[in-house]
Amino acid sequence: MDKKEAFITAIQNNEGLIYKIAAVYSNAIEDRNDLVQEIIYQLWKSFDSFKQQSSISTWMYRVAMNVAIYQLKTAKRKVTTVPLDEQLSNFHDTENSGFEEKLQLLRQHLNNLNLLDKGIVMLYLDNKSYEEIAQITGISETNVGTKISRIKEKLKKQIIKNYNYGT
Amino acid sequence: MELDDLKNTWNNMSNEVQQQPHLNTEKINQMTSSKYHSRIKKIAYPEMAGIFICITGVAFTLFNFSKLNTVFFQATAVVAIAVLLLLSAISWISIRRLNVTGDVNKPYAATLKNFAVQKIRFHKLQKINVTLSYLLLVCIIILLPKFFTGKDITSNNSFWIFAFSIGYIFLLFYSKWVAKYYSKSLRQAENLLKELATE
Repeated sequence: MDKKEAFITAIQNNEGLIYKIAAVYSNAIEDRNDLVQEIIYQLWKSFDSFKQQSSISTWMYRVAMNVAIYQLKTAKRKVTTVPLDEQLSNFHDTENSGFEEKLQLLRQHLNNLNLLDKGIVMLYLDNKSYEEIAQITGISETNVGTKISRIKEKLKKQIIKNYNYGT
Repeated sequence: MELDDLKNTWNNMSNEVQQQPHLNTEKINQMTSSKYHSRIKKIAYPEMAGIFICITGVAFTLFNFSKLNTVFFQATAVVAIAVLLLLSAISWISIRRLNVTGDVNKPYAATLKNFAVQKIRFHKLQKINVTLSYLLLVCIIILLPKFFTGKDITSNNSFWIFAFSIGYIFLLFYSKWVAKYYSKSLRQAENLLKELATE
């Protein structure tokens, strides 16, 4: 299997993680499509640097989350996207099944967290172990545990606050 | 909704995404091709247009410099040229920074640290940009009548009364708006840096 074939297989096996990260880090559908495209472009560019010290999905998470952060630089300077939107339209079909509503709800909670907590909680939601979260984020396993406990507290407070304000 | 409830929502979303594959070989090939990677260039167009306008302004001022017959007007023109050049430099720096995607293999926390630092720098640049724009506006008000009609509006007493009173009120609201616009985002970046520093 040549490099390109190996890459395509890796992407197809892990496309779910790319779409989930894009969904969490962008609000508009056009931004999401741009981010998916940018993640795949950057994954391809740095595919040679994947040294198999971690699993391919751990490496892809790391690259994709980093790309999402770099993409934030341009998020508020939106221009028309490149002509890949049409080809990504399959992704839009999921809107019909309440996908967007679920995303909205998730974003509402995740957007109240800072970017570090947002990344950690996303990995936690995706059933990543503390070890993998530590590998991806670059913070210690102990700190991952502490942070997740704090995030739970933050979310509880947020719910109480929303309840008191009648939202 | 607590974290465990969020987890259920997340799992439902994951199932939906996984049930419907989106990426075939052709799409992946297109996405990895650099010809589709033109978004940053498009984003940089307004900045490039800004640089073009500033340079045109410098050329126009230099071309008409001979019409400025007093030291006051000449000094105002020099300030205007300096401001226009500085604004061009700021735009150029912004474009360069926009084009930089750092090492995507670094840990997420390291990227966040870099992002927060860049954001703080960007806000500082924007504040300088806004202040310089205000200064440029004052210079333009003084210079344009001289360039186009040869009239010296600064010799009119009512000009100074108008300039000081309206100008001061405008500056007051303008600076408050700028401070409000940037402070939240800046605070978030600073807090993120503080949190990352404890890791």
